[in-house]
Amino acid sequence: MKMKVNMLKFVRKYSLYFMVLGVLFLGACGDDDAPEEENELEVFTNVTLIFTNNADATDVVRARAEDPDGVGVQELQVLDDITLTAGATYTLTYEILNALDPTDVEDIGAEIVDEDHEHQFFFSFTNDVFTNPAGDGNFDNASDAINYNDMDENNNPVGLSTTWTAGSATTGASFRARLQHQPNVKTSTSGVNDGDTDFDLTFVLNIQ
Amino acid sequence: MQSQSPCTYKIQGTILDAETKQPIPFVTVRIKDTELGTVADENGKFLLDKLCKKEYTLLCSSIGYKPVAHHHDSYHEKPVIYMAPSSSDLEGVVVEGETITGDVKSLAGDRIDKAELAAKTTTSLAAAVGDIQGVTFTSVGANVQVPVIHGLYGNRILVVNNGVKHGFQNWGSDHAPEIDITSADNVSVLKGASGVRYGPEALGGAVVVEGHSLDLSQKLHGNISSGYQTNGRGYHANANLGAGNEKFSYHLGAAYRRIGDRSAPDYVLTNTGMIERSASLGMRYHLPQWDFKVYYSYVNQDLGLLRSSVADSGDLFARSLSASEPIIIRDFSYTINEPRQNSTHHLGTLAIDWYSDLGKLKFLISQQINQRDEFDVRRNADLPIIDLDLNTSNARLEWYHPVWNGLEGIIGLQYFYQNNDNNPGTGTTPFIPNYNTNRISLFAIESLEKGKNTFEFGVRLDHEHNSVRGRETNQDIFRNKYSFTNVTASIGLVREISNDWSFRSNLGSAWRTPNMAELYSFGQHGFKLQFGLWRYYSNDEGELRTDRVLTEDDGITEPEKGYKWINELSYQKDGNSLTLTAYSHYIENFIFDRPVAVIGTIRGPMPVFIYDQANAVFTGLDFTYKHAFKENLKGTLGMSYLWSQNVSKDEPLINQPPLNINAELSWKTSSIAGLDESKLTMQTSYTFRQFQAPRTVSVEQLINREVIITPESEIFDFRDAPDGYFLANVMWQWSKGRFGGQLEVRNILNTSYRDYLNQMRYFADELGRNVLITLNYKF
Repeated sequence: MKMKVNMLKFVRKYSLYFMVLGVLFLGACGDDDAPEEENELEVFTNVTLIFTNNADATDVVRARAEDPDGVGVQELQVLDDITLTAGATYTLTYEILNALDPTDVEDIGAEIVDEDHEHQFFFSFTNDVFTNPAGDGNFDNASDAINYNDMDENNNPVGLSTTWTAGSATTGASFRARLQHQPNVKTSTSGVNDGDTDFDLTFVLNIQ
Repeated sequence: MQSQSPCTYKIQGTILDAETKQPIPFVTVRIKDTELGTVADENGKFLLDKLCKKEYTLLCSSIGYKPVAHHHDSYHEKPVIYMAPSSSDLEGVVVEGETITGDVKSLAGDRIDKAELAAKTTTSLAAAVGDIQGVTFTSVGANVQVPVIHGLYGNRILVVNNGVKHGFQNWGSDHAPEIDITSADNVSVLKGASGVRYGPEALGGAVVVEGHSLDLSQKLHGNISSGYQTNGRGYHANANLGAGNEKFSYHLGAAYRRIGDRSAPDYVLTNTGMIERSASLGMRYHLPQWDFKVYYSYVNQDLGLLRSSVADSGDLFARSLSASEPIIIRDFSYTINEPRQNSTHHLGTLAIDWYSDLGKLKFLISQQINQRDEFDVRRNADLPIIDLDLNTSNARLEWYHPVWNGLEGIIGLQYFYQNNDNNPGTGTTPFIPNYNTNRISLFAIESLEKGKNTFEFGVRLDHEHNSVRGRETNQDIFRNKYSFTNVTASIGLVREISNDWSFRSNLGSAWRTPNMAELYSFGQHGFKLQFGLWRYYSNDEGELRTDRVLTEDDGITEPEKGYKWINELSYQKDGNSLTLTAYSHYIENFIFDRPVAVIGTIRGPMPVFIYDQANAVFTGLDFTYKHAFKENLKGTLGMSYLWSQNVSKDEPLINQPPLNINAELSWKTSSIAGLDESKLTMQTSYTFRQFQAPRTVSVEQLINREVIITPESEIFDFRDAPDGYFLANVMWQWSKGRFGGQLEVRNILNTSYRDYLNQMRYFADELGRNVLITLNYKF
């Protein structure tokens, strides 16, 4: 009984503190804001290789690769084969997009132009499928022949534009293009395994 | 002056040696500014009676020990006074009626005191507690280390700093608690399920860091310490200062630490440097029956992660796994480049204690601000890829009630609020959503002493509400609100079998809601693609899909519930001691991270990890035997073994600590080179290969579709568990007057090895030989 009386006295004496505590509990309530919208700068969802016939600007061969969910688990889809005309010379350029947000498609190609001293394209293909460049590309050896049409500020090749002359007719050959991001790494001798990969795509190549 | 009416208050205390924890006989105990005093008996017990009920300062002195002054107020339990031998580096401390394992007597635990911490100033909190049997740490390189207790880590281990749950981005294994151990007075590890006392996240145990004790009636004291380490060319300095009169005391501390790239025996571990800055301030104001304490601490860390751990294509990941050396090795540098983490943590607390015949009331409020930026190797490396602000508020009221019919205990009310916000400008979809968590909890722990047995029981009610707002990669907003209510309970027994043997047993339950990363993570984090429980599902064909955000209505996610039974048998006599801890832990809906696939992306094939849920069992044994061959020659033999299994699918779990055996020999002398004391310690350990690891499926096998994996397939890992390894360390500690120091060689054999619990084991060896020198001045 004595205990009970003490308790009451106690509560009365320190009621102010209990009130402060109560206010603290009630005072905390959450905000309801979502993270702000971000321009996804890292992800490529659509890469198109564009081969334009140097002799006929209307002869354009497009080969698409698509990863519609970006970093989601859906497999990359290489949608098209590359089919070139035997003996013809083409200029290869790219369309590189992030279309994760269909209402706000980002063109990443422009960003690569801005940072061309940090980027280089490398190629690997079935041996001698092209008459120019000959060989099998510059994956195995960075100095192997590739016809780069563009140079960065340090006079190192970039590869946003390259020139290709198709060899004789063949089907089921392979053509692999890789874009490496090489900040502070790119030199006249840096190769396909230096830096980090922005894209790495392998297409079926037919020449007819 | 004795008054006419005789006073009846008495102080009963015990005096122990701070080093051996054995009683010191015949210590003189005086009450300051009076003629009163007594001498302790041969068991270190003393009694001062016929006192008036007020506050006293006790002065204890004995030849061969440093004197101790203790400000005693009448509402505390019987004081236990630890006196430090005058030759040792220790300081005396007084413990007032608190057990070694905090408020839960039946929980097995271990404590690292200030002297032991002083020998570990260059290590992380996790590495400092990692020497305790049954405790280890999981890491992401040399800078990010997270404590593991009996196979559990992350937010199953509660880290309590200065009385409050450390509020940090406690997800994944790549976020270490931002706590500087030079600011700690002692660290305790509770190995049992401590959910009843500490709340939902203490499912696997708790690491309790206590700051400076802010003792009253202490003259100005402090220390300055500085050191250098060869591996990483690291240097550090810290200073502590404190003083107290009969009413007011304070403590100030600051520390700085910088380390460059560490080295494995054969190569530089490029980009593993770190910088840590910290400061703390504590103040106490004491009135009869009242204690007011404020505490503030600040920690800022800049941590580099191994450059070669970032492989943004599966091709590079595969090459890294099969390479004997990291892919990128550069010359030594202090520079910290991407990938790196920068975090700042502020903690402020206000604690008010009130003592009376009605028991002790403890009120505490705290606020924490945790800011974390992570920078990854990517096109926009100058922008953080993760930029989070986490605000945590705690308030609690605890009543340590007076003994009632033999019952002694605590009743408490706790409130917890956390607000996580993504800062804009990362140029990537947030990996972790914005969220708010509100939790209110009520608990009671009671113990009853009956003869040689102490029975203990506890119960706790938690109600938690979460509000989540995130973005999908197409920038659509998703929202969710969900609540959990849960009751946890524990029962325990402590039995004094004889003077030398004692036994404690605790059966505890705990629960935990899945954390935000476990539910919502989506996309690239480090070298892998990671998907939370609510971000993936299996379609009708059994294929993994990530095209929608799930909710609790999909019925796949339940909170984790754990039941842990832990028993500890201990023996202590004549400097010899034996501790045997056996435990079994069943966790329903255990959440774990595992590899599930390698998928083609525009960048090439990438490894995919998912969070998964299953029922799991963890059972094991910790063993420590300490033997005093002579007064000054002591040995320790230890072992910890854990067996764990996913019992839903009858397959192994991943990233579980392997069997470890360790031995230590220490020799102490006062006869070297005129030093007051020298102590030479040799530590050896053998860590076995984890023979319970999942099967190995290589990245190439997955890329070439030689092995097809679905979410239902048996668990696998990308690389075999590393081989067992033997490590040896040697340490020499000395003291002379106010000076002290330490010379330590870690990994003295320069062994190349990989630690199964280090995520960097895929890419690089652990640190090679490291020589550390520390100098200390005390006043």
